Amino acid sequence: MIVHQILSGAGLHDAITTEALMFRERFGAWGWGGGDFAARIGAGIDGEISPLTRLRAEREALLLLHHSAGAPGLTELLSLPNRKLLLYHNVTPAAWLWDHAPLVAVHCALGRAQLPELVRRVDLAAADSEFNAAELRARGARRTEVVPLLVNRDRLGPVPAGMQGGDPTRTPTVLFVGRLSPHKRQEEVIRTFSLYRRWRAPDARLLLVGDPLTVEYAEHLRLLADQLAPGAVSIESGLSDGELGDRYRAADVFLCLSQHEGFCIPVLEALHFGLPVIARPVGAIPEVAGDAALLVEDRDPAVLAELLHLAVTDLPLRAELRRRGRARLALFAPELVAARLRAAVEATASPRTRSSSTDRDVRDVVDQAS
Amino acid sequence: MTDPESAVERARQSAAARRAQGAYPEPVSTAQPEPESLVSADKLLQWALIEPDVRNVRSTRRLGAPITALKRVLLRLLSQYHDGLIAEQSRFNAHLLITVLRLQDRVEQLEQRLPREGGER
Repeated sequence: MIVHQILSGAGLHDAITTEALMFRERFGAWGWGGGDFAARIGAGIDGEISPLTRLRAEREALLLLHHSAGAPGLTELLSLPNRKLLLYHNVTPAAWLWDHAPLVAVHCALGRAQLPELVRRVDLAAADSEFNAAELRARGARRTEVVPLLVNRDRLGPVPAGMQGGDPTRTPTVLFVGRLSPHKRQEEVIRTFSLYRRWRAPDARLLLVGDPLTVEYAEHLRLLADQLAPGAVSIESGLSDGELGDRYRAADVFLCLSQHEGFCIPVLEALHFGLPVIARPVGAIPEVAGDAALLVEDRDPAVLAELLHLAVTDLPLRAELRRRGRARLALFAPELVAARLRAAVEATASPRTRSSSTDRDVRDVVDQAS
Repeated sequence: MTDPESAVERARQSAAARRAQGAYPEPVSTAQPEPESLVSADKLLQWALIEPDVRNVRSTRRLGAPITALKRVLLRLLSQYHDGLIAEQSRFNAHLLITVLRLQDRVEQLEQRLPREGGER
């Protein structure tokens, strides 16, 4: 089989690019050929992803369209006779971005606008979470499949043995990993942390890790941190996998107040390192974290600060969350995800897919794989 | 032990108790509301007039100060070209926006007249 992957954009620390490269490894192991292409390619990944203009799709090749933003040339792609599998990763609502990064907002608005046409013209529509799949159905997909994100957690290095954190002699460290962007609500994390530090843990530290949406937005966060918790907040970008693993190992609790998540890999990574996770129950977070995280809707930062204190100091609570986290991770094991991916690709390649009888056929293949 | 299901409730109680003792005097919510998905006319007018901030032109490399200076000199040298470009684009944006707002007003006026005309039939 030949599978060409097409991304709207590719970047060095981009989760979807990373996943596409992991897919390619799997495809290679299954004896499948093909290439990986993107409309926009960032620095540092030359050679691994080719410009979309170089795509020459053989008639028998299958196109796997990763959709997370507006894709130029989509109409031409969709008019190709090849069979097509859509993998929807969700698109950040543009409303969060207009003030800070107008061009990115345009790409996001375009990405959402393209969704109905994509859904209508692919042979099978899949998404990396049920939350995203529901959006596909709302845009007209008759049936959808869920192929969770393939996450290589081993790249982050070893997990410390025994109970991590909770040591009263240790400086509590709060961690959030995610793009420095308004919808991730790092501002709210900083405000919550400043209260936690003031009323519960005067020597606590906050680590914010993520590539900035813009230099200006990162500067805005730094100024806010200097104002509310001077000297206690580190904001880091461009970390290697090993360095990111070090940040997880140094943390005592993971605080995610993001308002939009199509999947949220860092939640899984935090569970992998045995960290208690506090998060907003938005987007795909409830289905990814399940009962292994403390999901909180409260807007009162005092409640969030007290919850941080509880998650850091209550050792039995930490142990229970860690136990549940391990069970949760098993549901996202790479082999299970790879099996679902393979089933979705094979179902798309099947000429029976997309007819009225395909719903059952695809479901059978995917169920067998799971 | 606090079981995970009751942790949030315990945090609420703890926050209320500590607040009663004088802690957490800040406003109850510091969270910002989610942005509106539709941009207001005022905002559109603000965006229509393009005013790039030269302070945003910089090098992000380490020891990038000379590159920043070079970029700003280049901008100054090309300012006639850029000023013309910005003026033309802003003029188009503003006129387009004014046209859209006029059309919006006319649609609203027509919508207000519709029920009355319907009732006369």
